[in-house]
Amino acid sequence: MNTAGDWKAPWEALAEKVGTDLTNGALTAGADPIEASAVRRYLEPLEFDCPLHYDAEAARVYGHAGLTAPYTSVFTFTLPAMWEPGQQIFTSDDRNAQPANSPIDAGHLKVIPQATGLFVTDTEIDFFRPPQVGDHLSRRGSVLKSCVPKWTSVGRGAFITQESEVITESGEVIARIRNTVFVYEPVGPPPDKAGGAS
Amino acid sequence: MTRKQRTLADVEVGQAVDPVKYPLPVYRLVMAAGGTRDFNSIHHNSEYAQSTGAPDMYAATSFLLGAWERAIREFIGPAGTIRSIKGFRMSRFNLVGTTLVVRGEVTSVREEDGVGVVDLKVWSENAGGTTVGPGVAVVTVPVS
Repeated sequence: MNTAGDWKAPWEALAEKVGTDLTNGALTAGADPIEASAVRRYLEPLEFDCPLHYDAEAARVYGHAGLTAPYTSVFTFTLPAMWEPGQQIFTSDDRNAQPANSPIDAGHLKVIPQATGLFVTDTEIDFFRPPQVGDHLSRRGSVLKSCVPKWTSVGRGAFITQESEVITESGEVIARIRNTVFVYEPVGPPPDKAGGAS
Repeated sequence: MTRKQRTLADVEVGQAVDPVKYPLPVYRLVMAAGGTRDFNSIHHNSEYAQSTGAPDMYAATSFLLGAWERAIREFIGPAGTIRSIKGFRMSRFNLVGTTLVVRGEVTSVREEDGVGVVDLKVWSENAGGTTVGPGVAVVTVPVS
């Protein structure tokens, strides 16, 4: 584990890559084309009642080719599968064991093994059209916009901002996403702040 | 959604977006994990969330964004569109066992190229404090 004095070093090294695509323009495809049942499951916990998302005829009345998915579902529909044939992702019966891999892991941002914590802090999205049932979406790229080391109440790491695009199979860009995540070692607040600050 | 479609003439600066309440029991967070495919354990496992420094499991970004979109959609109606969401900053956890409330207010109204364009200030509250935003959603409604 890094000492209190040098914990910033790996994050400062990452900050030197600002402006570059950390994934070299890689395309990450969603597990499946958008299906009506997947849209329903997105709506359910939100109790999101809009006919564009469950009544194809109503969607056509409003000028769409068929059912649309909520704009914000672009995150969901660009996630790869949790599991693929031949893989074994559950290898421990520990109560809190994690799968061997996860599509939301953002491993390319965890520049040190101790940085096991990650959560999103900021999101900006430009939408060019709503996702539609039948679209097979992908995320393209992860251009580093900033990397700011910080020790907060939950641990020490960095606020990392990156930009990517959401594209269809034909290459149409339907959204542009700028996300900031805090990637961190969960070591709690800095020693001089018993209560912590975030 | 059976309410009348809102048009540009129905919108004015200072107008409130109807607040939408989202109680957050474990059940809902588990449904949200399945619906959004964000299975990060911080959103459905108290013990795991606490091991990462959080007080308890908490609502995920995808769910919170969807919560904004529902409130926005109920304001703009099915003929409306969303052009952007900016300033979606999560400053505090939306913990299990609390109630999230999404609120909004019209800050700008204009006609551009035959379309009604509206800026909405949107934010989330929990236990009386702001947890997400305030941000800005740029949306459209029909002119007539």
